[in-house]
Amino acid sequence: MRVGIPRALLYYQYYPAWKTFFEELGAEVVVSPPTTQAMLAEGSARVVADTCLPVKVFLGHVLSLVDKCDRIFIPAVRSVEKKVYNCSKFLGLPDMTKAVIPEAPPLLEVDIDVNEGKSRLYQSIYAMGRSINWNPFKVRQAGLAAWQAYLDYRELMSGSKLTPPEALAGMYGTAEKEPEVTRTGPARVKGTVALIGHPYLIYDEYINHRLIRRLEQSGNRIVTPEMVATPELKSAIAEITGGAYWTYEEEVVGAGGHYLQSGADGVIGIMAFGCGPDSLMMDMVRRHSVGLGSTPFMCLTLEEHTAEAGVVTRLEAFTDMIYRRKKKDRAVCV
Amino acid sequence: MRIGIPHIGNLYIPLKALFKKLDVDYVTPPPNTRRTLSLGVKYSPEGLCIPFKLTLGNFIEIAELGADTLVMPGSYGTCRLGYYAKTQDKILKDLGYNIEMIQMGVSEQKLLGLMKIIKRLANNASWYKIISVYTFCQKKMNAMDRIERLVQKVRAVEIEKGTANRIFKEALDAIDKADDSRTLKEVQTGYIERLNNVEKDPDARPLVVGITGEFYVVLEPFSNYDIESELGKLGVEVRRTTFLSEWTKFSLFLNPLGINEKDRIHRAALPYLKRDIGGDGWESIGEKVLHSNEYDGIVHLAPFTCMPEIIAQNIMPTTRENIPVLTIICDEQMTKTGVLTRLEAFVDLLKHKRRAGNGSRLKIAV
Repeated sequence: MRVGIPRALLYYQYYPAWKTFFEELGAEVVVSPPTTQAMLAEGSARVVADTCLPVKVFLGHVLSLVDKCDRIFIPAVRSVEKKVYNCSKFLGLPDMTKAVIPEAPPLLEVDIDVNEGKSRLYQSIYAMGRSINWNPFKVRQAGLAAWQAYLDYRELMSGSKLTPPEALAGMYGTAEKEPEVTRTGPARVKGTVALIGHPYLIYDEYINHRLIRRLEQSGNRIVTPEMVATPELKSAIAEITGGAYWTYEEEVVGAGGHYLQSGADGVIGIMAFGCGPDSLMMDMVRRHSVGLGSTPFMCLTLEEHTAEAGVVTRLEAFTDMIYRRKKKDRAVCV
Repeated sequence: MRIGIPHIGNLYIPLKALFKKLDVDYVTPPPNTRRTLSLGVKYSPEGLCIPFKLTLGNFIEIAELGADTLVMPGSYGTCRLGYYAKTQDKILKDLGYNIEMIQMGVSEQKLLGLMKIIKRLANNASWYKIISVYTFCQKKMNAMDRIERLVQKVRAVEIEKGTANRIFKEALDAIDKADDSRTLKEVQTGYIERLNNVEKDPDARPLVVGITGEFYVVLEPFSNYDIESELGKLGVEVRRTTFLSEWTKFSLFLNPLGINEKDRIHRAALPYLKRDIGGDGWESIGEKVLHSNEYDGIVHLAPFTCMPEIIAQNIMPTTRENIPVLTIICDEQMTKTGVLTRLEAFVDLLKHKRRAGNGSRLKIAV
């Protein structure tokens, strides 16, 4: 059996776990190719205009998998931490996909909600695993292996300061890689820029107009949320918001808070237009940066119309300001 | 302590009575106006929904009147609402208002936590007093909603348009002034009789349109350009299941005890959406499925960028129960003409559909 995994949304956080799980059960894993203009256009055509960019991209990936696999894996992740939830879109994703892409192969759905208790969570994983392999012990083994793969992946990223695409390339060889990512770094580092935002925005080169590569080519070192260790993340979260509300957004806020205080010359927040959680959380980070007044902060909003030139102009202006500020070492208002 | 609570429909009427009887200083928020909206829009992050902007506008206007304790309803969950109190608190403090924000949520504070907040807001009044006063306010809400249900029917068939609305306004004033249960009862029966006696078109068979969608925009006429009256003017009978009286009864007392009035709606939505996605998205789909035989059409109201309603909007067209749905997105950019044009077109379409016979294969694209 071939299981399709769309290269979008939670892919960057959990792909090693998913891959391990399905392969342990004897299935073959098919990943959709990197985002292209056609995929985004096809995805957008299926949903109402208000739907946020990442979901449109996700549906484009699902469409590209339609003929290539027997099942498509779409988890409904409600909560991975007690009393901390996710955006409704993650919850409605399986049903929404079914509604707007009726030709899609049957979905593999799994409910992830730790508030319901461990047994419900395990049952949900078993139910999904059993639809591929009848042997419950095999499912258990696969689940444990997947968890280990996830931990290794996180460890690799925070330990060696790698971004998810780099870590994936390291783990699974060049097959995962996009055309030649050179990480030798620029000859002379002019500044360090922290990118904060969801992995599916930062690492999807099509929707963010090759942001990371652009910044690196112009002589910047890039740091991302995955490179912040959990304790630092937690303390920054507590300082800015007082407590977690959304899981994935907290990571963004925590990283923002951390980099605003140390480790970066400038922080760029990346959000999708119409993103519910981010519209609140980026504002929290912005307010925090105004209060601190130490590190410049800029927020880039992405949507399917974002013109490349507009993004480039803003990036250049921002980096120029950082360099000048570094040179003169004096406060500049943003 | 001066308490302020933002507008949600006519909630201010029972609240006024509640706090007056408990001898608590309560500030009635000034009615929602363009100023409220512009204040809210000015100080809100741009991507937030209209409930946030309008309630923030309310808070600013209440704070200008000297309120120092602000109560924001909303509980934790997948909808952003649970985070609004915190954000608004920050915004108001940054603006220099010296206020305390209290979040009143059902799901995490449970019944006991809620009761503690109520007791604190009530200046430690005795439970007997709180409960008796609350019962009275609940009666006010019931009276309001009973009259409103009738108004929705009368608006569609009245000969002189606007009569029902005028009576409704008077009724609200009278309910607001009523000070004890007996007067309240008299007011209720009096106005129901007046509405029954309004001159109506005897041959009218009005179209029935259900209103569903996000709680706030459904209940707050300012945020949807009073869509119910506009539909009434077009000769349409409006029905909705969301009413303040029921919502307070259930969300304050019965839901914490495990009784949920919406189970029926949720069951109807189950084939199309298996999980509660937060907000009112699940209910929107459920209502479409449940009422597809009863209604001629459905108007689905959603705030701009509302996450649960966007999912609902995407799923709704695919249900087997086929009934025309008009989704209206509410935000500060909305104009009255735009809404009216769309409503007129929608009502025309429903009329054609009815004329063609409900069983016909007439293809209708909305």
